[in-house]
Amino acid sequence: MSTDASGGSTLELRGITKRFGGSTVVDSLDLILRPGEFVSLLGPSGCGKTTTLRMIAGFEQPDRGSILLDGAEIGGLPANKREVNTVFQSYALFPHLTVAGNVAYGLRQRRVAKAEIAERVAETLQLVRLDRFADRKPAQLSGGQQQRVALARALVNRPRVLLLDEPLAALDRQLREEVQIELRLIQTRLRTTFLFVTHDQGEALAMSDRVAIMNGGRIEQLDEPEAVYERPATRFVAGFVGQQNFFDDVRTDSGVLVDADGVRFLPASTPPAGPAATVAIRPEAITLRPESAEIPVNACAGVVEAVNTLGDSRQYVIRAASGRTLVTRSARVTEPQRFSPGERILASWSPDHVAVFPAASAA
Amino acid sequence: MSRMARTRTSGRGPRGSSTLLAVPGGIWMLVFFIVPILVVVWYSFGQKPGLYGTHDNSVLSLDRYGEALSGAFLLTFANTLQIAVIGTLICVLIAVPFSYWLAVKVTPKWRYVVLALVLVPYWTNFLIRTLGWQILLAPEGPVTVLLRQLGLVDAAFSMLYTKGAVQLGVVYNYLPLMILPIFVAMERLTPALREASKDLGAGRWGTFRQVTLPLAAPGIVGGVVLVFIPLMGDYITAQVLGGAKGNMVGQMIAGQFQQGQNWALGSAMSVTLILITLLSVVLVGAVGIVCGAILRARRRLPIERTAAGATPARTGTEVPA
Repeated sequence: MSTDASGGSTLELRGITKRFGGSTVVDSLDLILRPGEFVSLLGPSGCGKTTTLRMIAGFEQPDRGSILLDGAEIGGLPANKREVNTVFQSYALFPHLTVAGNVAYGLRQRRVAKAEIAERVAETLQLVRLDRFADRKPAQLSGGQQQRVALARALVNRPRVLLLDEPLAALDRQLREEVQIELRLIQTRLRTTFLFVTHDQGEALAMSDRVAIMNGGRIEQLDEPEAVYERPATRFVAGFVGQQNFFDDVRTDSGVLVDADGVRFLPASTPPAGPAATVAIRPEAITLRPESAEIPVNACAGVVEAVNTLGDSRQYVIRAASGRTLVTRSARVTEPQRFSPGERILASWSPDHVAVFPAASAA
Repeated sequence: MSRMARTRTSGRGPRGSSTLLAVPGGIWMLVFFIVPILVVVWYSFGQKPGLYGTHDNSVLSLDRYGEALSGAFLLTFANTLQIAVIGTLICVLIAVPFSYWLAVKVTPKWRYVVLALVLVPYWTNFLIRTLGWQILLAPEGPVTVLLRQLGLVDAAFSMLYTKGAVQLGVVYNYLPLMILPIFVAMERLTPALREASKDLGAGRWGTFRQVTLPLAAPGIVGGVVLVFIPLMGDYITAQVLGGAKGNMVGQMIAGQFQQGQNWALGSAMSVTLILITLLSVVLVGAVGIVCGAILRARRRLPIERTAAGATPARTGTEVPA
């Protein structure tokens, strides 16, 4: 057990593969977590993210590949011999033990001296601001408090890597956002390596140093949150993180990309070679103006079909002449002009915001 | 939850109609349980009037209790208590590992098939099941013959009509009543709790001892009560398998009511049996509660004491449930 709480460890997955029955759930996955890093595994349900976490915790055995903790193989060890701890989605608090009893559980298994147990439990409960609830049973706590007990129960052992399996999924939205901030602060303070599994992209982007986007048992992109959002590596990542307007079946015509409906795109960089491609434009990258001038490229004419207020921003649904819809979004306070349903407009975007993907990666 | 439910019923004011729901059960208990018990208690203060009468309450006395607590009854009573305690313990020792295996290791597809295999014999008539053991254990029965052929016992051996046969019979007859509540308690535990325990460093045995067993404790208590109490009053098993050596109190009481035609003495014995059975359950329960409290107190951390002393008022940071 590492007693150095300021460190954090390196976790490395090499070619991890896991099959259940006939289907490959995790497919030769590679991942390296740097010491003290907060990495999220983000993906739709069934993408293999929870299975990956369970293999690191020791609840599942990989069919192939190795799991290295600070360079040492832990793949063959049973769960109770691994110096990693898990915060479960359901929290899995022991209902017959008090909050303090739950938090002390791991230390008692390791035969830590009673005085030290008392000290570390008190310290960890203070960290999650539950010291006054030490003698309560889990059933007497709110969901948010239970979540913090689960976190304290794992952190008190000073794990080399902390695994979090959608720990905020059961909380309502406002509380979830509070806990996100709190969790990130605790992680920054302890510098423990965190691996956080979630299907909520907002959560992953808000908290992580790096985000790994998983699909079909593989990592499609591992990068910093901003890079994942602004420079998605694949069409899947572009569509999964944030909203997109996709233009499929785009062909190159004398240096300009043209889609089936005749919308012309001019990207900032040279588009990838190939007969067909997909273009993606973010809703917030689209500017609306009254339909007066004709713009030859990076624009599309249409009619405002619906206007939705999303609190801080306004969303327009535009129906283009071809019949397809575009979604655009603008900040309410900085929006130059407001449009109403039925108005004819011209939607345009700058070359910097034209993302092009080879059609083959369309999954 | 329960507070909410209570507020809702009293708030709408249908307290009367919800009490009405308890009336059929209440009448049933009154007619078939409370009244018969009171009759038995009343009879126990009477006497046997003559050779042909069964009871007479014209002179009330505690003499029947004096008779009941005489040598023969006490000896049989000790015998019964021994069979019941050992039988209950053996049932616990078999049912706990079996229920754990059934609830945790057996795949859900087969779980209820195995459970049905436990229950089907139980649904068979009690007397027939017990008579089956009589055939098996008879001096020329298959079990005895097999043991004799294996050279484990001599030619004179017969297990039938011994205390051992009664012990075997009661365990066999009451085991399903022990397995069911323990299985239900263990099956309710989510696998995540055992995973959490292993994640925190406990091995298999540590997880069983610290998580599975304490959380299954209500099921074990339920099973013990379900087995021990009927077992104390059982007389069919002892009648069929025990003979003269494996006598139980139930037989003796039945004998007073039937052959002896002494209802007053039979009633006094019944009341004594009921009281001592309840007393032993209460005693064992109290010991269990005290031991649990001592164990918990020894594990208490200082922070729990400070927390208990703190005011329960919420600060701004706390999230209401």
